[in-house]
Amino acid sequence: MANRRPVRLDSLDDLPLSRRELLMGAGGLALAGTLAACGGGSSSSSGGGGTSGGGGTPKPGGNFRLGVTGGGAKDIIDGQSIITKPDQARLMASWETLLVYDEQYKLTTDGLAQEVTQDKPDQWTIKLRSGITFNNGKSLTADDVIYSIQRILNPKEGLFGGAGLSSVDPNNMQKMDNLTVRLKLKNPDSTIGDQLGQYYNGIVPKGYSRTNNLKWVGTGPFITTSFQPGQQSSHKKNPNYWRTGQPYFDTVTVTDFADPTAQVNALLAGQIDAMTDIPFAQIEVAKQHGGLSILEGQGGGWLPLCMAVDMAPFTDPKVRQAMRLIVDRNAMLEQVLSGHGRVANDMYSPFDPAYPSSTPQRTQDIEQAKSLLKQAGQDGMTVDLHTTDGAAGMVDSANVFAQQAKAAGITVNVKNDPNYYGNQYLKLAFSVDFWGTRQYLPQVANGSIPTAPYNECHWPPKSGTGSDFVSLYHQALSEPDATKRTDIIHTMYGEEFSDGGYIIPFFNNLVDAYSSKISGFQVNRGTLNLDSFGHGYRTIWFSS
Amino acid sequence: MATEPSGSAASQTAVADPAGGAGSSGAGPRRHWWHIGGIFGFIVRRTLLGVLVLFLVSLIVFAATQALGDPARAILGRTATPASLAALHKQLHLDQPVFQQYWNWITGLLHGDAGTSLAAQIPVTDYLKDRVVNSAFLVLVAGGISIPLSVAIGSYAALHRDRPFDVITSIVTLAFAALPEFVVGLLLVFFFSTNVTHWLPAIAAPGKRPWQDLEGMILPVTVLVIAVTPYVVRIMRASMIEVLESDYVEMARLKGLPEREVLVRHALPNALGPTFQVIAINLAYLAGGVIIVEYLFNFAGIGGAIRDSVFNNDLPLVQALAMLIAALYVVLNLLADIATILVTPRLRTRL
Repeated sequence: MANRRPVRLDSLDDLPLSRRELLMGAGGLALAGTLAACGGGSSSSSGGGGTSGGGGTPKPGGNFRLGVTGGGAKDIIDGQSIITKPDQARLMASWETLLVYDEQYKLTTDGLAQEVTQDKPDQWTIKLRSGITFNNGKSLTADDVIYSIQRILNPKEGLFGGAGLSSVDPNNMQKMDNLTVRLKLKNPDSTIGDQLGQYYNGIVPKGYSRTNNLKWVGTGPFITTSFQPGQQSSHKKNPNYWRTGQPYFDTVTVTDFADPTAQVNALLAGQIDAMTDIPFAQIEVAKQHGGLSILEGQGGGWLPLCMAVDMAPFTDPKVRQAMRLIVDRNAMLEQVLSGHGRVANDMYSPFDPAYPSSTPQRTQDIEQAKSLLKQAGQDGMTVDLHTTDGAAGMVDSANVFAQQAKAAGITVNVKNDPNYYGNQYLKLAFSVDFWGTRQYLPQVANGSIPTAPYNECHWPPKSGTGSDFVSLYHQALSEPDATKRTDIIHTMYGEEFSDGGYIIPFFNNLVDAYSSKISGFQVNRGTLNLDSFGHGYRTIWFSS
Repeated sequence: MATEPSGSAASQTAVADPAGGAGSSGAGPRRHWWHIGGIFGFIVRRTLLGVLVLFLVSLIVFAATQALGDPARAILGRTATPASLAALHKQLHLDQPVFQQYWNWITGLLHGDAGTSLAAQIPVTDYLKDRVVNSAFLVLVAGGISIPLSVAIGSYAALHRDRPFDVITSIVTLAFAALPEFVVGLLLVFFFSTNVTHWLPAIAAPGKRPWQDLEGMILPVTVLVIAVTPYVVRIMRASMIEVLESDYVEMARLKGLPEREVLVRHALPNALGPTFQVIAINLAYLAGGVIIVEYLFNFAGIGGAIRDSVFNNDLPLVQALAMLIAALYVVLNLLADIATILVTPRLRTRL
């Protein structure tokens, strides 16, 4: 990892300025340029490091075969959308974003943009690298960026990225020159850079649609050559890829697996080279079997238990607090994830520079919980906890919590409903959900304010602690000064920590397995498996 | 499972069954004007009955799939909004009355149009075409191996009753019948692919049709053969023993026919009757029951499609698969009945 990024930048990260300020603040232009040069230059000689034994100089050639679970007939290929996990694996082969999160989940200009600058609270400017072409030979220009962002914002497309970029005015994007775009915002927003680094906000060519002849056209290192939903896709090396020397593989094959047992067997038998999400019970088997390696990404994904702050019995903050004191987080981490994660403290976005890691860890306190419930008149209460098989661990989390709650004298009935996301989602008093890694303000936009699409807890409450949460959020968005913004975010974190509706017992790791013949994988904190699928299959190679 | 007494009981009911619907009209001279006699008439009547069964199945399938929940919500999942739901309802014709939906579906089905897969957004027939052929290939290869094999083993065991071969066969088939397919499959993969040796592939080669990947077919076919053979062996043995003890075999022997002719011309055809019924049920079971085998070997057949379609509330796909498997049961039972009658001359007199 150290080889890929200049040491100087690591030390800069320790300055009390946010990384975004450094990269994209008014004074950050020169530095952004430096970063870009380093990112681009070092990538061609990037090697070594990583977790795989091989290391050394990357060798070109070979067909990289990846097995992914979680797909099916619903699979799609789209540069800006995913439905299943294999879709993520396929998107990463052919599309890239303007900014990129690195292995430490820090935003870098190692993407299509040379620099992205917040000129004013309500104005951002994107400057593209020159000389990048799409895999159909067309050059990447400002028009493509404008089209891409307009497509994300088009409600008819129903794209996930729309919520995060909603402050961008789709009709007020200006093409300054062939490589420069100016975004005018409807309201101040300091999180646009974060959004442009989300993998699903890929840059597509002007006129792109999932069904027309541009459907597989992107700037990425591989070109899709065939795709059967639920089964397999093939991708060949993009000969005109803009990063010199990359990618190394000749072809990449992504195969859907219905069952993780078959996936592990295929890896053990050498029929695939890497797999996503190895079952915890199989990790030791894989380790003992020579020739396999485990890649464990300490991600920031979380499986919250969500209490709706405006629904009985959780309208009383004492009840919410009691529920949070019931959880034995270590036991839950052990039982749900076999220990493959880290204990959390009811607050999300652990990689945000403003994450309050100094807040004392909340631990189980049954006596205190009982006393709070008694004060609230809810001792011995019975409550339904709704869950579904939406993500691994959601049902287990609910069951473990129900067990632990018995100690406090309350009854939790777990309701496992396959139609949960269809019928009742967001209307429940007490439910389980899942989230990937995101920085704090973008996460708030997605889940913790009334306009958020997935506000399970119906946060914030109308009165009491947290009632000023929305105005704090808007203050933070429009605050250009990073230090002041961090202060505001700390206040927001504090309100959620003391009175929020989330119980966040742990952050889960992503545990993948791969053949030791592959070199270049690095431990990654991001949302995607396998080191963001080997950064789109371009930073990994066959060492033997 | 098929112990000896229940085996012969099954054989009796199975033999009685082909006479089934037509039985009441009996062998007497009084017949209805529409009653076409002979094997041809039997086939026509059974086919019509099969069509009736499929019509009833279509009603049940349609009613049952309505209970799966709103497919539009299942497709959109967490991203559903009232507007996108309404749009999808319209696109999928879910806004029409239920009867209209059934009528559209059943008439479409009769024209070979099973609708569009809600999840894959392509015609169901296109989605299933390759998968059906793949599964059929797997089932036919497994059937082609297991049927002659089990008939041979069962007959041999019956002829050498209570001798070592019979005793060993009995124990081995009982053991295999007791093992679930996934256990057999996992053990085979463990021994031949992943841990003990690396002789065979652990999964079917992705992206290849089964006949292009014969090496990868060895283990899945073996699992299916092991799953089906024990039942057929045991029923074949039981019915062969019954036939060998019958009066007509005794008679044939007394008449001085060579033993070979007694067995091949007189005993075997009569013993095969009930066996056909078991084979038909097992083949039909294979068609639906390959799910686990297809899972284990990541085989692109209908097994994966069944699971996927239910998971996605993909109504047209669920309905098409249910109808396909129902039709297969009807057709296989018809074929088994015809085959039974062809090898059992005495049943033909009752047609």
